[in-house]
Amino acid sequence: MKDQEKNSPAKAVGSFFKAVGGFFGEFGTAVSKGDAAVKLSLLWMGAGYAKRKQYVKAVIMTILEIAVVLFTVKFAMQYVPKFGSLGTVQMEKVFNMETMKTEFNDYDNSFTILLFSLFSFVVWFAFIVVWIRNVVNAYELQKLEEAGKHIKTFKEDLHSYKEEKFHVTLLTLPVLGIVIFTLIPILLLILVAFTNYDQNHMPPTNLFSWVGFQNFLSLFGGGGLTVTFGYAFVRVLGWTLVWALFSTFTTYIGGILLSLLLNSKKTRMPRLWRTLFIVTIAVPQFVSLLLVRNFFSNGGIVNTICSNIGLTGFLRSIGLVSTSYIPFLSAPGWAHVMIILINIWIGVPYQMLIATGVLMNLPEDQLESARVDGANPFQIFRKITMPYLLFVTGPALVTDFVKNINNFNVIYLLTEGVYTTTNQAMANSQAKEVDLLVTWLFRLTQDYYNYKMASAIGIIVFIICAVFTLIAFNRMTSGDKEGTYQ
Amino acid sequence: MKLTKRAGACALAVIMAASSSMCVSASDETIKLTLWGAEEDQSLLQELVGKFEETYSDQKFDIQIGVESESTAKDTVLTDVEAAADVYSFASDQLTDLVKAGALANLEEVGQALQVAGRSLDDVKSENVEASIEAASIDGSLYAFPRAGDNGYFLYYDSSILTEEDVATWDSLLAAAEENGKKVGMTLASGWYNASFFYGAGFTTSLNEDGTTAVDWNGTSEKGYTGVQVVQAMLNIAGNPAFMAIADGDISNQLATGELCACVSGTWDGITAQKTYGDGYAATKLPSYTIGDEQVQQASVAGYKFVGVNGYSQNAGWAAVLADFITNEEAQQEFFAQRESGPTNKNIIESDEVKANIAIAALAEQSEFSTIQMVGGKYWDPAQTLGELIAQGGLKADDEAGIQEALDSFVEGVTAPVE
Amino acid sequence: MKKMKSNRTSTIVLHNLLIAVLAFIWLIPIVWLVCTSFSEYSGMNTSTFFPKKWSIAHYIKLFHPDTVVQFPQWFLNTFIIACFTCVISTMFVLMVAYATSVMRFKMRKPLMNMAVILNLFPGMLAMIAVYFTLKSFGLTNSYVGLIMVYSASSGLGYLIAKGFFDTVPRALCEAARIDGCSEARIFFQMVLPMSRPIVVYTVISSFLVPWMDFVYAKMILNAGISSKYTVAIGLFKMLDKSLINTYFTQFCAGGVLVSIPISALFVIMQKFYVEGITGGAVKG
Repeated sequence: MKDQEKNSPAKAVGSFFKAVGGFFGEFGTAVSKGDAAVKLSLLWMGAGYAKRKQYVKAVIMTILEIAVVLFTVKFAMQYVPKFGSLGTVQMEKVFNMETMKTEFNDYDNSFTILLFSLFSFVVWFAFIVVWIRNVVNAYELQKLEEAGKHIKTFKEDLHSYKEEKFHVTLLTLPVLGIVIFTLIPILLLILVAFTNYDQNHMPPTNLFSWVGFQNFLSLFGGGGLTVTFGYAFVRVLGWTLVWALFSTFTTYIGGILLSLLLNSKKTRMPRLWRTLFIVTIAVPQFVSLLLVRNFFSNGGIVNTICSNIGLTGFLRSIGLVSTSYIPFLSAPGWAHVMIILINIWIGVPYQMLIATGVLMNLPEDQLESARVDGANPFQIFRKITMPYLLFVTGPALVTDFVKNINNFNVIYLLTEGVYTTTNQAMANSQAKEVDLLVTWLFRLTQDYYNYKMASAIGIIVFIICAVFTLIAFNRMTSGDKEGTYQ
Repeated sequence: MKLTKRAGACALAVIMAASSSMCVSASDETIKLTLWGAEEDQSLLQELVGKFEETYSDQKFDIQIGVESESTAKDTVLTDVEAAADVYSFASDQLTDLVKAGALANLEEVGQALQVAGRSLDDVKSENVEASIEAASIDGSLYAFPRAGDNGYFLYYDSSILTEEDVATWDSLLAAAEENGKKVGMTLASGWYNASFFYGAGFTTSLNEDGTTAVDWNGTSEKGYTGVQVVQAMLNIAGNPAFMAIADGDISNQLATGELCACVSGTWDGITAQKTYGDGYAATKLPSYTIGDEQVQQASVAGYKFVGVNGYSQNAGWAAVLADFITNEEAQQEFFAQRESGPTNKNIIESDEVKANIAIAALAEQSEFSTIQMVGGKYWDPAQTLGELIAQGGLKADDEAGIQEALDSFVEGVTAPVE
Repeated sequence: MKKMKSNRTSTIVLHNLLIAVLAFIWLIPIVWLVCTSFSEYSGMNTSTFFPKKWSIAHYIKLFHPDTVVQFPQWFLNTFIIACFTCVISTMFVLMVAYATSVMRFKMRKPLMNMAVILNLFPGMLAMIAVYFTLKSFGLTNSYVGLIMVYSASSGLGYLIAKGFFDTVPRALCEAARIDGCSEARIFFQMVLPMSRPIVVYTVISSFLVPWMDFVYAKMILNAGISSKYTVAIGLFKMLDKSLINTYFTQFCAGGVLVSIPISALFVIMQKFYVEGITGGAVKG
């Protein structure tokens, strides 16, 4: 492939700013060199198109412009002006006996103000981009006209979305979905980290307001939090990374091995075996994990069996266990190992499926020529199969790692309500040894409504992960090896 | 400005209403209400709502009944107060947080609506036992209608194995259990259960103005016992081979295995206990435990189930009438008859049927030693860990310094400021 | 000669034995689930692996709705949600994967880096914001809202599909382009049919989401109306402390019933995996 981008994060950022600069440069040229219609486009977005007889586009742009103006007046102006203070009118109410209803004043809800202001900002940002593009386009049209070239009809324009602009058609809806359901919520929580949104400031009854970097200061030693917070943070972060590393690699390698095992020519009835493994995926996680949790609980079946066959007694005698049961999921160490083992049980069939799908697409000719050259199966695996697998699933490996950092289900279902920490310093910060950062943050928001702190910690976690993964990701896809196997 | 005017008009309306006691007549508007109750109470609630609609048949209602367990009501309600039900049931320990978030209407205001039913808030206050009203009030204002008083714990035991003398003290109880090759179960890893030892020795918890918890368990109680002594007593119990520390919520499972001849639990395990113990089914107050050579009566936490009106309800008035309707004497009678729920209504408590109910009678016996637990959110995790440390033997009874250190650390966690 | 053959037979036996042992380990909990669901006892059995008394009473109960259990209704709800989620998610994932893999445009790298960054953020934290976004559109307590939550952001999970599209020979696309095929036609008529394994993978994984999720569903369907639940919340609520002893066996039975159609789906789709290999052969 010719378009090899050299990818270091620094260069990615650099090229990004270059693109932004170019974008505004084009805009400047368009405004200064454009004719009256182009300049009018600054105000009436349809002007340029109307002048060049692209009436349908002119109408669409005009409607868009009106829509944004209406949005601004009718919706955004209710919230954006209050963005600075996040609301000032406290909720007050009075009960009216005559109507049997409570009457409320027109109170502010800090959270709604924050959310809808952000929403407005995103809409405006998108609109400004469109607006600038629009002026640039109008200027392009002017140049085309001056050069006496053909100006596309609306039909041709539409057609281009099946051709060279097909990516726009493909990406519009998915990106819109991501912006509304992922980007805006994330931006919102980043903002929350700079407010005092906690149990004492819960909308709609109470207002919250901006506090600047206060939350970060108290996280790094300043007053407010318990002394053990930093202690708990480091431990939870450590286990999160260990867990992510182990869970990703054990299931990945396990999956490949299992799929090689099943796809081997020696296997009788591979379909049947594969089906048996797949059944474990088919049981919803909350059923299978809760079941496994009861399976291994202190008074559960495994413990009953272990004490019947004398294993518990043996472990007690060598000092591995101090209780009358084996604390599979209720003591640090034991629980950590068990969680990773159970995750192998849950995760390997998935990875096996993926690996199977990929292995079936192995370049047959390469395998053939290797066999002709007299390579043994192990060499084939090492030189052909493994590099191919790594190439195809490499990026997914990075995503898996990140997913495991944020793997809520497994930890929550296996430990919530059954694991009790005996480490008082952890308990004083509402953390447990088996907590991942997500489950800890979840508890902070769910049980303690401490959104500001959860967001602040969330951001720090995010930065740690971001640095790590961006480097790994760009290494893995570096030089854009997309062409290698084509 | 607008508000004060409205308030004036409202006050006027109240005076008018008071003068002609039933000035509120049915309006044409359909009153929409949602009601949340526990899963197991659904059919009874449906029945009661049916009766409610019959009683006020000249008013059109659209009442939806949803499922929300009392123990998790707070979590769901506080996620989005405005979307929560108009009337919902919850456990008494959630009251403070709910009021703070504005999720409960002040009944001193909204309660005026009860005149539609020909009642007043004072009726509610006088009909139910004082302790329940006290638990449902903050700063002298009532915030919820008491519905059940059985959210507390006591001792279930098998009377075919244990005698009444056996269950009087932990020492004799554990000795008798060991003799019979059985065990005695209790949840230690929960601040709700393990506080019973501390309360019994005269320790207290209370809430400060700023929402933090005040706790003195690392010091000396008003009865003159030290926290270390209490923990030592607990360690002695937990270390007894006949004692079984059970995870929170797991007692009914352990009961069903038949290994326990006695356990500390509440009415929610009544049916399982009845099945397990058969004719030997019995219940009584908690035993006393030993500090030094003195016997200390184990206390307990008095828990209630309340029904509250959402502070953001669109139809707060009718919501209050409905909430009262499903908690009044007649309703509590139904709850007792169908669900064996322990009443808070004085008349029903005095009735022979209730007195004959073994579990509720035991609860009444224990109520003399029960306290209302006033703690903030930061209490639970450290308390659970302290309990687990004792249950697992992480502390040693002869290591007083270690126990003191653990208690100090516990107090530090509990008293941390609320964010 | 003969010795070598018996040697090979023994490795084959060992090989299959190994698989059998692994399969056995993998299936223990599942077998326990099935056994427990046929137990007569309604609570949790902690002393024996197999139930003391067998009965199908709990399956019968599942199909006779009471106020707690409305299993047939939950099943239908989840099925509807799953179908829509599946269609939308699959489309989104494949669209994004194709655009980033096959096409070249200015914003490609920035968008991909953006996606990586967004995936890093703990999604649980954003839950409350998602809830209020939906609420502002009036979509809480509706299946449309739930479907949107499950599928709208699915484009972010495009990497596996992209990895797959990357292996489709570019020369074929170039040839098609020279023949005057539009990009859209190349996508729908050439690349997609060649990528059946990854399509199947995407379909299955997105179909499963609504059956597995209990966190978002519980938050969005928060009116507490039991007949509107999805299977996941319905079953999850059965494990409430006050209910677990009466409903644990029904919970297991429900789990089995949910797993049956999903397993069937997997088994049928497995065939496509095998048939879909043709893509590899074309890449000569």
